[in-house]
Amino acid sequence: MGNHFFDKATMPAGQDRVDGRAKVTGTARFAAEHPVPELTYGVLVCSTITKGHIKSLDTKAAEKAAGVLAVLSHLNSPKVPGFDPPKPANKDEKPRAWDGLKVFYSDKIYFNGQPIAVVVADTYERALYAATLVKAEYIKEPHQTDFNANIKQAASPKGGGDDYTRGEANAWKKAPVTLEAEYIVPFEVHNPMELHAIIAVWEAEDKITVYDKTQGPKDTQQSIMQAFNLPEKNVQVVTEYVGGAFGSALRTWPHEIAAMLAAKKVNKPVKLVLGRDNMFTLVGYRPYTIQKIGLGATEDGKLTGITHTAISQTSSYEEFTEGAVGVSKFLYACPNVNTSYKLIPLDIGTPTWMRGPGEATGCFALESALDELSYKLNIDPVELRLRNYAETDPQRNLPWSSKYLKECYQMGAEKIGWFQRNRNPRSMQEDGMLVGYGMSTGVFGAFRWNATAKGIFHADGTLTVQSAVSDMGPGTSTSMVNIASEAFGLPHDKIKFELGSSSLPPGPTQGGSGTTSTLGSAVHEVCVELTNQLKQLALSAGNSPFKNAKPEGLAVENGNVLLVADRNIKMSYVDILKQHNKPELEFMKESNAGEEQKKYSMYSYSVHFTKLHVHPSTGVITIKKVVTAGDAGKIVSEKTARSQMIGGVTGGIGMALTEEGIIDHRYGRYVNNNLADYHVPVNADVPEIEALFVNRPDPYLNPMGAKGMGEIALIGYAASVANAVYHATGKRIRDLPITLDKIIS
Amino acid sequence: MNTQKPRQASENGSDGFNASRRDFLKLSSAVAAASITPSVVTKAADKKVDERIADYFEKMTLNIEVNGTAQQLQVEPRVTLLDLLREQLHLTGTKKGCDHGQCGACTVHADGKRINSCLSLAIMNEGKKITTIEGLAKGEELHPVQQAFIKHDGFQCGYCTPGQIMSAVSCIREGHANSAGEIREFMSGNICRCGAYPNIVDAIMDVKKGGQDV
Amino acid sequence: MIPFEYIRPSGQKAALDAIAKDASAQFIAGGTNLVDLMKKGVVSPQKLIDIGKLPLKEIKEANTGLHIGALALNSDVAENEIVKTKYSLLSQALYAGASAQLRNMATVGGNIMQRTRCTYFYDTTMPCNKRKPGSGCGALKGYNRMHAIFGASENCIAVHPSDMCVALTALNATILVSNNKGERKIPFGEFHRLPGDHPETDNTLQKGELITAIIIPENNLQHSCYLKIRDRASYAFALVSVAAALEIADGKTKDVRLAMGGVAHKPWRLTDAEKFLKGKPATENNFQQAAQIAIKGAKGYGNNNFKIKLASAAITEALNKAAGKA
Repeated sequence: MGNHFFDKATMPAGQDRVDGRAKVTGTARFAAEHPVPELTYGVLVCSTITKGHIKSLDTKAAEKAAGVLAVLSHLNSPKVPGFDPPKPANKDEKPRAWDGLKVFYSDKIYFNGQPIAVVVADTYERALYAATLVKAEYIKEPHQTDFNANIKQAASPKGGGDDYTRGEANAWKKAPVTLEAEYIVPFEVHNPMELHAIIAVWEAEDKITVYDKTQGPKDTQQSIMQAFNLPEKNVQVVTEYVGGAFGSALRTWPHEIAAMLAAKKVNKPVKLVLGRDNMFTLVGYRPYTIQKIGLGATEDGKLTGITHTAISQTSSYEEFTEGAVGVSKFLYACPNVNTSYKLIPLDIGTPTWMRGPGEATGCFALESALDELSYKLNIDPVELRLRNYAETDPQRNLPWSSKYLKECYQMGAEKIGWFQRNRNPRSMQEDGMLVGYGMSTGVFGAFRWNATAKGIFHADGTLTVQSAVSDMGPGTSTSMVNIASEAFGLPHDKIKFELGSSSLPPGPTQGGSGTTSTLGSAVHEVCVELTNQLKQLALSAGNSPFKNAKPEGLAVENGNVLLVADRNIKMSYVDILKQHNKPELEFMKESNAGEEQKKYSMYSYSVHFTKLHVHPSTGVITIKKVVTAGDAGKIVSEKTARSQMIGGVTGGIGMALTEEGIIDHRYGRYVNNNLADYHVPVNADVPEIEALFVNRPDPYLNPMGAKGMGEIALIGYAASVANAVYHATGKRIRDLPITLDKIIS
Repeated sequence: MNTQKPRQASENGSDGFNASRRDFLKLSSAVAAASITPSVVTKAADKKVDERIADYFEKMTLNIEVNGTAQQLQVEPRVTLLDLLREQLHLTGTKKGCDHGQCGACTVHADGKRINSCLSLAIMNEGKKITTIEGLAKGEELHPVQQAFIKHDGFQCGYCTPGQIMSAVSCIREGHANSAGEIREFMSGNICRCGAYPNIVDAIMDVKKGGQDV
Repeated sequence: MIPFEYIRPSGQKAALDAIAKDASAQFIAGGTNLVDLMKKGVVSPQKLIDIGKLPLKEIKEANTGLHIGALALNSDVAENEIVKTKYSLLSQALYAGASAQLRNMATVGGNIMQRTRCTYFYDTTMPCNKRKPGSGCGALKGYNRMHAIFGASENCIAVHPSDMCVALTALNATILVSNNKGERKIPFGEFHRLPGDHPETDNTLQKGELITAIIIPENNLQHSCYLKIRDRASYAFALVSVAAALEIADGKTKDVRLAMGGVAHKPWRLTDAEKFLKGKPATENNFQQAAQIAIKGAKGYGNNNFKIKLASAAITEALNKAAGKA
């Protein structure tokens, strides 16, 4: 490896998104927007109790309503074979159990808002109305949705906890300077702007096409195959454009199965679009988590002990875990670290990964605690982090594949004027406002998985690259075109990247900041192989200008194979194909992660700096400026990379200041399940954000040298705000979101 | 499927016809309706005919111009402008993000003013000129705001983008694009969860400074 | 949404006749609140009478003050030059409300008539005396961060969500209403009511009546500020809002108007604080004292306890800003 081809002067500075035109003209097609003949509409009826059983379900009025084709529930639903997998022939083999809620499977209610029926009608309005006519009676059982009331139920996950000790447990307590504090991250809801939606079309009894919102067309295909016991070739998942997801479309949810069942029942295509209220209950959320951090340090600021424990929650019917405490194991050089992670099962739907996942939760606690410690030690927060800089991975005892975190601290601090501030809390004022500066670190694993891509060079001089991935917004198509352009030596406008269908070569699920690394590697390798084939064909062509040359002596540039020794001697790709009478040149390859991941610890890093104002009497917080510096390896697509960092910070602003899903525990029901009461940031909340990149390649992860970025953009950000609020006011807020009532109380 | 000429909206305040329609709809079967409309009901032997009767009584005529094309449509009064555009006219560029006026994804222009199409009943737009994202460009030539959104990367997933662009055009036309702060406030009715706000502001500032005709 | 009838009367008289005939009918104009409520199943009118095209949009000055037609759009009122210069408080309040798109749809009359945003009112599975009398108040012992600190009852602690109405209360506006028999005037402060034992009744408008206009008397309140404090910078309902307007002569407050939003079932006029300030020097110290007077009798219900302190801070801040001291 080590072919850092973007070091060349040809790096595409600020390439526009390849799908920009489709997005600004409204022609980009999202899941619910595919024209399908004979379309019908499904609307979910959801439980209004939190736990118990359905005693009776009166669907008569709904069935009689104009335009209604069917009302489907546990009473009359077609069977889902995957819900009750047959016992394997081999006794030692375990049957493949269904993950998650089995929709319309029984009369049992696990959470408020659980789908209990779906109404299908010929128009959306009729389905919506008929859904209100379905009447359910329940046998209620006492429910538990209150995290704090159930904290004693916390137990290690069945699938294994995150119990870890390095050196001595709880060593922080013995240190000369100590800090212990508790931090809360509340329910947060992904709330992508596109509502989750699916159109289910049974092409035959055993053959289905779905137009679906998913971050992984292949994953969804697998789920459908499992659910309906279908072969791969009989299941097609189409997901051309995904209107954001941030984790909510990482798995197959009950409404997707419900739509497929409904379509089976009425024998017509069914479109099912969730309401915004369903987005709170049916497609996951960031779990409520309480964390305790203990830090011990010497007087000169060397960490001697970190203890990081977390209690989070899952649903009553499924276990969900995430790596909240993981960051404390390796982010700082510290001889003694111990962690633990426990779960409380509650009568709520299962949580799922939300941008930054557990690391965002964990970094809020750890990076707030570091800030608190810095004041105890009277050491600048940046300086404290540098004094505990981990030069190698203290958890795995391995070298980093690359780590430019120091550079991030430096770049960010300079840009925001960090060292010009008065360090003392509540010491700075501007226009009658208290001024605060805060900083924090973010970290997330840099991954590479397996992926297959196919490249087809056509006789007209264009290249098509394909893989079964979806793009929820980061700009995967744009990045892949950039990578292909570099590797294949062809201008961007001659390259098309095709994605969004499970029938394409299997690509990765978009998540864990691994798409560019994983898929980019496949695209790179396919393109390099195609150029190798072109070189060979150029040498063997009847009119080859490369007499006696060897492949090593050839290069590619701008659609031509050329002689390195004399770059004027060249042969165009199109001509090469013509000479060989080939209509096209095609190559497909699965690219696998190398052994390097075992030899090196691989992470992306971010450092966030925030300047904010706090109104001294009303407590209103206004973020004035953000600088975020990222070590995401080599930047493959400058424009979309910058946007992704800005976007992550915006999500972080929401996490820090406004976002909290609230359940009224008397009813087990969300009381702010809409976008007026669940506050995501609006334009006026977001100031100028500067995104800086170290932009140096990781030599080991992949041929591009690119690390991931989607998660680090958000991870840690909320702590920079909490730290800035402390600097502005002298008040430490440890439970998110930092609303003004917490400032003035 | 509805071949009969539907009613016009009552222009004189008389609701005589509506009253009987109401009564009709309250009856659960076509047979029971025999006393009101015997000639129709005699044919109402199956559910399909029943449906047709329901359709007939539920729909009203709507004269509306969408992206420069005058249309006469039959719509139920409960159909929102957003659902009319997306489900009946297949203009899916206008997005549904919340369906309750809380996100701005459904922003269109009605008689030149930006509105949330999810909270407007289609029938209330009688005689209005609606412009959606599909009607903004002049053929292949993008509107300056569309171009600026591409240039400044004013989006990621692209779902809120049509609403943002329709809103941005209005923001400039209304004279509320004079500073970054003013743009932020007057663009706050359009939520972007990917967080492209700073780029959206840059795009609008760029168009405003360029002084192009929007 | 349930199926409903829709008519579009050609004139005001036809509209009033139509509503007189049918108790289950409702007027619709902008629709920004009513359509939302119908989608949620909170209200289900059998008939909608679309008054959107009636000629009640005019904004004009008369010798009695400023007349604003009930169908004038919130955006048109906010942008109006007369409003911006002579009734700036109203313009500020309108701009603080909703979003540009919603202001382009919402009418003055509809804004006055809008229902509370209480989550228990909106969720038909929850108890709410306003939506379903006798079912209880979900918010009283539930999640009540947004709820009232003044004038609530055990039956309802919801707040009126409007910003515009707070300014109109402070400006001593009058509401003009008509039915098919005639016309009457209602002082703004008497239009909305407190919940008491009948939270299902928001206001004193009678069945069959239509708001046709509001009239704002001329004033000399050259210093004004509408301050809205909310959970994000824009496009959110008020935690508390303050309409403050001052006439200052020789450093003293000659006339003063104070009202709050987000704190009660109606726009909350701060008459005691006004009385205190009248004739006193326009100083921050006096403003703070006025704020203390204003919050006397405020009562929190748990999640909204902070509003009492916030209200006091907001009143002081709004007065400071109005007087040019912030």
